[in-house]
Amino acid sequence: MSTSTAAAVAAASSPAQPTGAHLGHTSLNIDSLRDLARKELVNVLDSDHGVEKIYHLQPGPLETDCKNLIYICRPQVNYMKYIAEHIHTHTKDSRAGSYTYSLFFVPRRTALCEKVLEDEGVFGEITKGEYHLDLIPLEDDVLSLEWDSTFKELYLEQDTTSIYYAAKALMRLQGIYGLFPRILGKGDYSKALCDMMLRMRREMAVDDLDASQTMQLSQNIDSLIIIDRSVDLVTPLCTQLTYEGLIDEIFHIKNSFVEVDASLASAASAPPGGGSGSGTQSSATAPTGKKKKVPLNGGDKLFDELRDLNFAVVGGLLNKVAKRINADYEERHNAKTVPQIRQFIVKMGGLAAEHQSLRLHTALAEEIMNYTMTDDFNRILEVQQNVVAGIATNKEPEYIEEMINKQAPLVQVLRLLCLYSLVNSGLKPKQFEFFKREILETYGFEHIQTLENLRRLGMLTKQTTTKNTYGLVRRSLSLIVDEVNEHAPNDISYVYSGYAPLSVRLVQCVVQRGKDNKQPGGPGGKGSGIAGGNGWKGFEDVLRMLPGRTFDETQRVDDGQPRPSKRMNGQPRVSLVFFLGGCTFTEISATRFLASQEGGQRDFVICTTQILNGNTLVDSLVQKVPDLHASA
Amino acid sequence: MSPPTADWIQLHDRFYRKQEIYTMLWKQVDLSKYMLAAAPFGGPLALVRDDRKVLLLQKQQPIKPSIYLYTSSGKLMETIQWEKGHIVGMGWTETEQLLCVLEDGTVRMYNILGEYTQFSLGKDAKDNKVIEVQFWGTGLVALTGSFQLIAITNFDEPRPLFLADPGINEPPYSWTVIPPKFTLSRHVEVLIAHNSTILVVDATEARDERLQQGPFSKMSISPDGKYLALFTADGKLWVVSTDFQKNLSEFATRSQVPPQQLVWCGTDSVVLYWDKIVLMVGPYGDWIKYTYDDAIFLIPEIDGVRVISTDKCEFLQKVPDATENIFKIGSTAPAAMLYDALDHFEKKSPKADENIRSIRLELSDAVEACIEAAGHEISHQYQRSLLKAASFGKSFLDIHNADSFVEMCKVLRVLNAVRYYEIGIPMTYTQYQRLSPEALIDRLISRHQYLLAIRICEYLKMRTDRILIHWACSKIKKSNDDEDTICRMVVEKLANKPGLSYSEIAMTAHKAGQSKLATMLLDYEPRAGDQVPLLMSMQEDELALVKAIESGDTDLVYHVILHLKRKLQLGEFFRIINNKPLACNLLESYCKQQDPELLKDFYYQDDRTVERANLTLMESFRQKDSTERINTIKGALRIYQEDKEHTFEVKAIEDSIKLLQTQVQLEKDYSQPFSGLSISSTVYKLITINQSNRATKVRGDFKMPDKRFWWIKLRALVEIRDWDGVATLAKSKKSPIGYEPFVEECVKAMQFREAAKYILKCDAHLRAGLFLKIEAYQEAGEQALLQKDLDTLRYVAWVGDAKI
Repeated sequence: MSTSTAAAVAAASSPAQPTGAHLGHTSLNIDSLRDLARKELVNVLDSDHGVEKIYHLQPGPLETDCKNLIYICRPQVNYMKYIAEHIHTHTKDSRAGSYTYSLFFVPRRTALCEKVLEDEGVFGEITKGEYHLDLIPLEDDVLSLEWDSTFKELYLEQDTTSIYYAAKALMRLQGIYGLFPRILGKGDYSKALCDMMLRMRREMAVDDLDASQTMQLSQNIDSLIIIDRSVDLVTPLCTQLTYEGLIDEIFHIKNSFVEVDASLASAASAPPGGGSGSGTQSSATAPTGKKKKVPLNGGDKLFDELRDLNFAVVGGLLNKVAKRINADYEERHNAKTVPQIRQFIVKMGGLAAEHQSLRLHTALAEEIMNYTMTDDFNRILEVQQNVVAGIATNKEPEYIEEMINKQAPLVQVLRLLCLYSLVNSGLKPKQFEFFKREILETYGFEHIQTLENLRRLGMLTKQTTTKNTYGLVRRSLSLIVDEVNEHAPNDISYVYSGYAPLSVRLVQCVVQRGKDNKQPGGPGGKGSGIAGGNGWKGFEDVLRMLPGRTFDETQRVDDGQPRPSKRMNGQPRVSLVFFLGGCTFTEISATRFLASQEGGQRDFVICTTQILNGNTLVDSLVQKVPDLHASA
Repeated sequence: MSPPTADWIQLHDRFYRKQEIYTMLWKQVDLSKYMLAAAPFGGPLALVRDDRKVLLLQKQQPIKPSIYLYTSSGKLMETIQWEKGHIVGMGWTETEQLLCVLEDGTVRMYNILGEYTQFSLGKDAKDNKVIEVQFWGTGLVALTGSFQLIAITNFDEPRPLFLADPGINEPPYSWTVIPPKFTLSRHVEVLIAHNSTILVVDATEARDERLQQGPFSKMSISPDGKYLALFTADGKLWVVSTDFQKNLSEFATRSQVPPQQLVWCGTDSVVLYWDKIVLMVGPYGDWIKYTYDDAIFLIPEIDGVRVISTDKCEFLQKVPDATENIFKIGSTAPAAMLYDALDHFEKKSPKADENIRSIRLELSDAVEACIEAAGHEISHQYQRSLLKAASFGKSFLDIHNADSFVEMCKVLRVLNAVRYYEIGIPMTYTQYQRLSPEALIDRLISRHQYLLAIRICEYLKMRTDRILIHWACSKIKKSNDDEDTICRMVVEKLANKPGLSYSEIAMTAHKAGQSKLATMLLDYEPRAGDQVPLLMSMQEDELALVKAIESGDTDLVYHVILHLKRKLQLGEFFRIINNKPLACNLLESYCKQQDPELLKDFYYQDDRTVERANLTLMESFRQKDSTERINTIKGALRIYQEDKEHTFEVKAIEDSIKLLQTQVQLEKDYSQPFSGLSISSTVYKLITINQSNRATKVRGDFKMPDKRFWWIKLRALVEIRDWDGVATLAKSKKSPIGYEPFVEECVKAMQFREAAKYILKCDAHLRAGLFLKIEAYQEAGEQALLQKDLDTLRYVAWVGDAKI
């Protein structure tokens, strides 16, 4: 039968991650989540069907020979308009014949989208369905809802849709892994998320009494820690200094893929040149300017090793690996007998893959190096570190002014300016007016809206008090650590070369209880039970200084059964850390570092609404205007 | 007790049996005068007078036709008065809803109690009339008078879908559909007998199978969708795979007259029916003939055929393997030995022991086989004796998992209960397993057999919520009591069911016009979200919105907001929204994407100056015409001026107007685009097109700070590589930005010689480093020496060596 089918996909990354044989970092079996998502996708596409072509959903007419179209997209208004446009052009074109349209919403259909389809007059043309994909396992220890616009949506527009989806997703996790015995968190929206989860649990009792009664406390997850992005806006504004973080800053990692110059990527995909590194033919072959997508995930062993390290040590490590691979190749000369040769051949497959990955990462590291060597990068970094450390002088605002005068990218300017404002509880009135005017006159008057957005979020404000809250927080949580050993770090502050991300420090507060409660950053921090632990105790004063509510809820199973045994033998306990409103790769690295400090006693699984960095965060708040000249 | 094999007939190597299940409760129904449709899985029968057939007018019969719904045991469940036109086809859905398709393309969907909904097959069907219809569990295909095919594939959202034009101009000899779940493409396919061949039609094309054996006057698809049975022109029954690749069997019936019915019995034999004669043909050409006194009706099931006649309901099936093994005469299968052993045991014969001993090793299998065979029995006695045999065998086993035994006992209790003639669902064990207990419960609910449904649920430990809700709904619909009494009655019954959802019940009350009752019941609904739809239809707008917000589901909030917007006056709409922050926020983000005008009104009535002004301002960026644009911006300005606090914005917007006006002038003067540029960029551009004076003027107009102006001028001059200009700028007065930028910008442009000119003007301690940048090692060394900067000096020496 010639009933060909095409699928148009938007903003729903496929759960079929190329993870290979990458086994779990954590004791949770994330595969069950992956399988579920994959199975449902097959149902959606009805795999026997044979999807012939896949298109990206974008504006403009869709030209295809396929008569059965399946759309898979987020329930977003703009996508509905694209689809409506496709249908309108098809109906207008009398030669086109009849199409059938199916639309699968990820994760659910909404009244809003149906209204838009109705307004566009195409509602009746489309068969609608749902693909319940919520948390996407980016890694075995990172789950993300991958909603790009959460930060803006939640904090600027105060649209709490993402909280609802987050709660639904967490409920599903509880369905798989059991109830989280304890839910702790900081921030008003964190609290809202927690409340919604508790309410959903009560309502679930309504839906399915049996299920709620049989739902046990989780055997390995002992806590859920929710950190609201609004509690810590400073961290994402700082330049990330880990390997993965820098890749994100420079190339922007999207759905765990990075788009790089084709020449970089081809260096990676070129076959290893037999002997010692003789593969330099790559850069000449591919024309520059073309982009290529490269996956970045734990399946790549070398990347797994490098991703969380401070970039300062990456070069040396790459060097070492290169030498080792070379030595391994040289071994072939020692292979004299047939069995020895065969053994080498067997080994070579692995070597080739390693070699390939080495090429990619050497190329990436070089690119990053080129960037980090520039004066601009270093001056921005210096300003940043001074501001965060509170040793700011006149020089910092002066440098920001210079950046504006040089018409540096607005996002860069705002990133630094907001950081300055946040740390100093606002700008002095005169300074505030000055910078606002400079920005409007240099970047255009549409940014009245941008500035209003930043003001509303408290990211760029006029100083009203001389009390420096941030300074107090910085001191009591020892956010600044002077002596940082990037090679053998003993504190999470290594990720920013001396600044410990506040968000992760808060997680540390709950999880680790050092000899001295006030100093969670101490190297001797030892794990203790969360479920029965003290929660936020000892940190009340600091928490009071930070915005939003602090909470600590306990979930019980009311069937009178004894609580589950402390933990299964040898299985580390797991804390789920949910970054509501997004988190950076650096924060993920820092959280992983916390786990490494626990010596196998505790694992962390990081959940987030999306992965962000300073650029994407600020950029989402910048007012865009259509370029009238483009059409003029 | 007659021997179990009494009704067995051998067909080649297998046995078939025809068992009587019910004696029909109906009186004197002449099936030949009716059009019949029966639901599978022992479902009900629908009868309507076939208006093409002559009927003797009898006194007690009404003139107006009616549709009679009977159970399989002939018990009348419902009579539907029929006042519409000619029924072209009747069929049942999977959920036991009766579909009646009319000539004009109207489709009515009745539940068992005669309540209906209806939809249409579209204009084309209406204009050309529907002439025939074929059904499957979840859809139907209609053939119109213009020989087009219209399919409905989903009854929840019925949408007529045209299949490809089969290209015929006379009615087909016969036709049938292959349900989507059996086709390769997962779309419905239609088989049409045309001339001597068959056309296969789907949504996109009609394909000719190029057969010669036609015309085919009857055809039928096997229950698993794999095979097709055809009745050929020369009176042969021909079975072929549905892809026409594999010939399975041919059988000459020696009848030129096509059978009235051609159905499958399971998946390996075919049953043909001519007037009062039933012929069953097996896969190897063997056949069995049954004769009847009156007209009958054959209902294909997944594991056999139900035969409805005037006085009986029978079931014709292949004897299941387990049963055959036990009861076949002379069988020595272990299960048969076990069954026999029980017989001997009851007769106190020592042979019992002998039998058991002989099957010692296979005893466990024999037990399971007896359990299974019990499942396939309709007669209670044989069920009992088979289970007894299993139990007897079990006692000789040391370890045996009794789960299957217990399970079968339960299933049989349930099956016997629904097979009881008052209920009349003659479901076999195989059918029960395929259908699932949940679906069976649904069927009982739709027949209003609440008590039995609840008993079965409790017995099988299933949730009873659905039943209770359905019960309450029908109670409300039927009851004549006052609202308080009904409420008390319903709540009392459901009181011990915590967490039961009341919203559906309340909705029913509302639809029945008992709004007070609805409100009372809704109070019991534990889920905020579920109360919303009802509250909306009860016109409790504000409460609906409150509940939606409470649920946290933003889409539900949208749902209410959009509903209210459609329904209410703007002022009233805003009044309800205003004091609810989440609703306001959502409305805002909806409007930004879909309805900016509404947003303006919203901001206006809520006194949101800044938002309103900015919205207007942003609008201006989409306008191409400068005059229009300036007018819009002035609008924004007026809004900002309403408030004293916004002096900064007022000034900024005034500036932006001034800028636009300046740019209009500049565009006129230099015929280059300027609008859209910022002040800085405007100045920059003027310098790059060599209009320094004009740039200076613009700069003055907007009181641009010195520093910024210098930076802009420097960068612009470097861009057009006007090195003299750069030098002149450097000399014009003391630089407010120092001379380092001069060096750096020149270095960036790779003009080391130019850069060198400014190094000595920079701070002394920076000079060495700057010289290094332009690779002037000697000067760098000198400067480092002057500054006594040993580190740099050493570095210079090292780099210098390397270079030379």
